[in-house]
Amino acid sequence: MTRTDFSDEILMRFADGELDADTAAQVERAMETDDELVARVALFIETRQAARTAMKPLLDEPLPAELKAAVESMVAEKTSAQAASATVLPFPLRAANDRRANRWLTPVAASLAAVIAGFGGYWLRGSAEPAPEGGLRVAAIGSPALGEALATVAAGEERQLPGSDQRFRAIATFRDNAQALCREFELDSADRSTVVSVACRNGTEWRVTFAVVAPGSSGGYAPASSTETLDAYLAAIDAGAPLEAAEEAKALKELQGGQR
Amino acid sequence: MSNAVKDIGERLMAFLPNLRRFAISLCGSRDVADDLVQAACERALASAERFEPGTRFDAWMFRILRNLWVDQVRRQRTAGVQDDISERHDIAGSSGEREAEARLTLKTVAEAITELPQEQREVLLLVCVEELSYREAAEVMGIPIGTVMSRLARARKSLAEAAGITMTAARSHVMKGVKE
Repeated sequence: MTRTDFSDEILMRFADGELDADTAAQVERAMETDDELVARVALFIETRQAARTAMKPLLDEPLPAELKAAVESMVAEKTSAQAASATVLPFPLRAANDRRANRWLTPVAASLAAVIAGFGGYWLRGSAEPAPEGGLRVAAIGSPALGEALATVAAGEERQLPGSDQRFRAIATFRDNAQALCREFELDSADRSTVVSVACRNGTEWRVTFAVVAPGSSGGYAPASSTETLDAYLAAIDAGAPLEAAEEAKALKELQGGQR
Repeated sequence: MSNAVKDIGERLMAFLPNLRRFAISLCGSRDVADDLVQAACERALASAERFEPGTRFDAWMFRILRNLWVDQVRRQRTAGVQDDISERHDIAGSSGEREAEARLTLKTVAEAITELPQEQREVLLLVCVEELSYREAAEVMGIPIGTVMSRLARARKSLAEAAGITMTAARSHVMKGVKE
């Protein structure tokens, strides 16, 4: 059997060695008699080669001394910290695991006004739910307006929450290690504090799994220390790569379909 | 106790040039790239025990760095930063003179790569330059493998066109490779 209608994609996979053996054999056979096909394959081989050659100088550039030094000291610090904890604290396995799970909280927590990490979490419902008494006031968390914003605002967009003085800003959408849909967002309040938060979908509800209240900064925009905490949190839950716009739109649409 | 941190640290140092190259081609600015590389290293070290031995270290690092970058772009966009850093390119280190020249003649491959849409550029970098498999690239970018393939094919066709890699010129080369 011979096939001559190979798509570009098949030919590219052939050139990249990503084609299954059977199809690759078919392409090879067809190439013996089809110069046009050879040329189409060649395009993919050539572009790969050309890209690698063109990007080579960037690899050969000397590393900036500051970068090298910064990473070296980071590595040295981590290595010695680990060595110290290994010799000084011979915890049983379970204790070591607990410590590891909480490590992300310690370094930056002190610089933040508050950290609410939702291991116990609380739930956002379609209906208004009384905010927890006292303690942290994260006004919009728990409001239907936030639930609505979480389900509709695309990453990179922002919106004033109806009936509140808060601005909602969607940062990213991703799936956690249990494949639940999660949204990373920020809320700016009138007092200029910013809540950096993550909410994950649980059934038909949003569950706030992470929130830090960053002290007010000019322009209402979370300072680096709070995003570091967030980064560590995202690493800890093994967050997937942020969804691309189209996928995000699809995921949010499905959500609304399920709701109504 | 595990050597995860020590091991990751060593691999990290050795991998810095590649990581930096990927960062520069993502964000188009050496300064931004260096900060990004540093942030990615920090995150990798903090979650060293999450790296699964036996999987590709480079793919893991690229994913960490790329996620940080995507996040940063979105933050800046929403914070109203007008200077879109993803539009600043100095991969080719092009001077004004060279740019003027490029308009008249064909672009160099590096310039053509710089001008690819970001989504095509990163997949080209990961597969053709860093030699990840389609599957690995898909995991780094969090997209389906089919999307990797369609973007990669598009990237290479526009690259060929912009840089004047023609099928006929390429052909003799491959013919040789295939027939010999």
